[in-house]
Amino acid sequence: MRALGVRSAFPFGVTLIAFILLALFLIYPLAQVLVASLLDPTGTTLTFANYGRVLGIAFYRAGLINSLTLGAGAAAISVVVGVPMAFCLARLPIVGRNWLLAIAALPLVLPSFVGAYAWVMLLGRSGIVTQALASVGLPSLSIYGMPGLTLVFALHSFPYVLLPTVAAFKAIDQSMEEASLNLGATRIATFWRVQLPIALPAVLAGALLVFVETIENFGVPFLLAEDRPILAVQAYKLFVGEVGANPASAGVLSMLLVFCTVAALLVQRRYLARRRFSTAARSQPPELVVGAAGRIGATVYCWGMVLLALVPFAVVVVISFMPFRGPVLHPGFTIDNFIVLIDRASRPLLNTLGLASAATLAATLVGLPIGYVLVRYRSALAGILDSLSMTPLAVAGTVLGIGFVLAFNAGWLVLTGGWLVLAIVYAVRKLPFNVRAASAILHQIEPSLEEASINLGVSPARTFVQLTLPLMIGGVVGGMVLTWVAIVSELSATIVLYSGPWATMTIVMFQALEGGSPGVASAAATVLIAVTLVPLLLVYRLLRRHELSLT
Amino acid sequence: MADIRIEGLHRRFGAVEAVDDVSLHIRHGELFTLLGPSGCGKTTLLRMVAGFTDPDQGSIHVGDRRIDRLPPHRRDTGMVFQNYAIFPNLTVAGNVAYGLKARRVPPPEIARRVAAALGLVVLDDHGERWPHQLSGGQLQRVALARALVIEPEVLLLDEPLSNLDARLRVEMRGEIRRLQQSLGITAIYVTHDQEEALAISDRVAVMRAGRLEQVGTPTEIYHRPATPFAAQFVGTVNLLQGTVVAREGARVRLRIEDQLLLVPAMVAPGSGLSIALRPENLRLLTPDAPCPEGWGSLSARIERVEFLGPLTRLEIAAGRLTLHVATTETVDMVRQGDAVTLAYDPARITVFAPP
Ligand SMILES: Nc1ncnc2c1ncn2[C@@H]1O[C@H](COP(=O)(O)OP(=O)(O)O)[C@@H](O)[C@H]1O
Ligand SMILES: [Mg+2]
Repeated sequence: MRALGVRSAFPFGVTLIAFILLALFLIYPLAQVLVASLLDPTGTTLTFANYGRVLGIAFYRAGLINSLTLGAGAAAISVVVGVPMAFCLARLPIVGRNWLLAIAALPLVLPSFVGAYAWVMLLGRSGIVTQALASVGLPSLSIYGMPGLTLVFALHSFPYVLLPTVAAFKAIDQSMEEASLNLGATRIATFWRVQLPIALPAVLAGALLVFVETIENFGVPFLLAEDRPILAVQAYKLFVGEVGANPASAGVLSMLLVFCTVAALLVQRRYLARRRFSTAARSQPPELVVGAAGRIGATVYCWGMVLLALVPFAVVVVISFMPFRGPVLHPGFTIDNFIVLIDRASRPLLNTLGLASAATLAATLVGLPIGYVLVRYRSALAGILDSLSMTPLAVAGTVLGIGFVLAFNAGWLVLTGGWLVLAIVYAVRKLPFNVRAASAILHQIEPSLEEASINLGVSPARTFVQLTLPLMIGGVVGGMVLTWVAIVSELSATIVLYSGPWATMTIVMFQALEGGSPGVASAAATVLIAVTLVPLLLVYRLLRRHELSLT
Repeated sequence: MADIRIEGLHRRFGAVEAVDDVSLHIRHGELFTLLGPSGCGKTTLLRMVAGFTDPDQGSIHVGDRRIDRLPPHRRDTGMVFQNYAIFPNLTVAGNVAYGLKARRVPPPEIARRVAAALGLVVLDDHGERWPHQLSGGQLQRVALARALVIEPEVLLLDEPLSNLDARLRVEMRGEIRRLQQSLGITAIYVTHDQEEALAISDRVAVMRAGRLEQVGTPTEIYHRPATPFAAQFVGTVNLLQGTVVAREGARVRLRIEDQLLLVPAMVAPGSGLSIALRPENLRLLTPDAPCPEGWGSLSARIERVEFLGPLTRLEIAAGRLTLHVATTETVDMVRQGDAVTLAYDPARITVFAPP
């Protein structure tokens, strides 16, 4: 309250409203899931028996183990791939480095299940590569099952490790490595003993994000896991219940999922956040001198990894313009897939655009003031608000969707069945990003600027409108576009919550895949890619300038 | 009349008394400096005048107007921030016009006053430039013009020069002083640099741990420090403690280590005393030169010599006592290891009341 010397109702009001909204749309639904997991079959007493029962079934235990294995595997591969690549990008003369850095974040924003679908198109049973291999009599690589899943997840999310690690390597002051070399360590010893340890907190923070995103993900395992149990998918299937819904078991699996993600994020907050080394390099480390072979090798490696992550998307776009007969692809050019898609899915496309816009607006309107209060009015209450507004990070979309159905399907507040519930769920899911984006921007704006304005006679409220907001606007718009793009490809909560007329583009694609219309699915995937990429390209400069992280 | 009257001001942050019972009267047209080490509460005191920090107790008046309850945007103070706080989204002229627009000054007058203010800080042709095109010194001038153009009753400067390099600091402090005097504006200037404080202030308040240690003109503070802390913080000083062994009229003989010094004080033998003696008040005598009338002297040896150009600093040992001495003698005449006689005028010794 002291920061601007005004005993203002503003921070209090923002905090109060934020608490009410989060209690209603985050805590209450989650509590419903918890209660569902604890209710015995009679629905009257609370008991832990459900947990024992569910964990006693090998199929569900396997789901838990598979999910954790997948998360750990994807995180490990991301580190193994991402750290050397980060070092190359930070320190070696990579050809086309700026271009590479510009597109390296794309795998994160492109819809992951579209990527998974692309791999099916390439390496699935009737995939292009599979058939080509078969035609020359070679055995095919399987994209299904755990190894395939792990690889697809790693390719999707290794930028979570790569990007912060590049920044961390760049932020290590040149004098560090000079001191190490001067003391007689070799370059390699310097990397292992000085540079890597300093960058390690950033690496691990990225790895934890990969872990969390992987175990929360619904679409990718739905496409690739086949009959292997995966927690997020099992929870959905139990809840929707083709053979009879089972909210108690679905609740147990949901809570297990929440425990895993919360544990990972707590490690990140409690342990890693404090071990960040303050890294403001006074002199950026110079490019290392390597021979032509080293340069070519590093360039091929870096470009190879990023292209490997992106090419499938390009393949999907190409395929969407080719004719299918049944599940089989034929050479040629056609726009039939899109004609069918427009016929079936013009409403869902509008739904997607409208819902994403509404939810983005809501997430910004709530997230921006929260970010402002967190940065400018530090207090104990603000600390709680900070933790609470980050909580959605730890809640899988499926789980939040289940919570919303349990909480708002009946009773005093009925939301399910309309568009509003989707918009709210999206806004809640993207709130952490919006709060972080707003705080990141505000951290770059010296509080003394606002004080100077007030000192010159402009009231605090007008200072916010006339000075702070214009200074923030670029970053805010950038953050809104990233939010919008992420919501466009939301599947895991949508699949639980959508109802007939409010199907989105992701649902259309999902149904087309289930219903065996690969032509429509590929066209829908292309539309999703376009809807994601075009806004990003439009605000590309803005994003670079404000260096918004994509996480 | 824009004099500033601060009475019984307190501000606490958690367990820290950042400002602890400060009362001050700053006269109209005076450049008044708050001087003290980092963390002693200078900024907090200044920000309470500006209104960015609320006092726990006490009052602040500017002229007859009590301002400590006013919101900061209605206090009519012009503040120059340590990091300049130039709005990056406005041009130089836009920055300077900012406060005038807030006061709804008509546009033609704004243009005229902005031009005049930029002229004052010698940035006449820089109005259309953007802040990122300016150097640190130029940004400093913009900040000054922006604060002055609103013709505030009070100018507040919080370490305004600390981000500049040494040469520019000396130049800018002269300019700030020139502007402040020519406009006749009352100014509070915060710094931890004692040389800066002595150079430009009408009066200086030495602060320590939230309290005022001494308030006075630069010469008073330098020559008649009220406390050992003030003596030590302003300039170099020999701070010594000893026991009185004998009384001789208005003087006493003070034993410090294994030496006896003549000190102007009237206390009984056996009492302890703290004294301060500036290095330039110790004079080197060649072995055969006579000691001036009424002065005291010590036999000593030169331990270390530091040639600084206009003067030479020496570390001199008299028995177990080590003293800092400053002399304008050329360095050839003082060599490490030389035996010398150190003479001092007891009248130049500052004696502190026993704690
Ligand atoms: N906003 C604040 N919160 C907590 N402590 C503060 C705050 N501002 C200043 N302090 C404390 O008050 C004391 C005086 O600070 P300050 O006025 O900034 O000193 P100076 O400007 O003389 O360096 C310091 O101990 C500082 O840590
Ligand atoms: Mg300060």
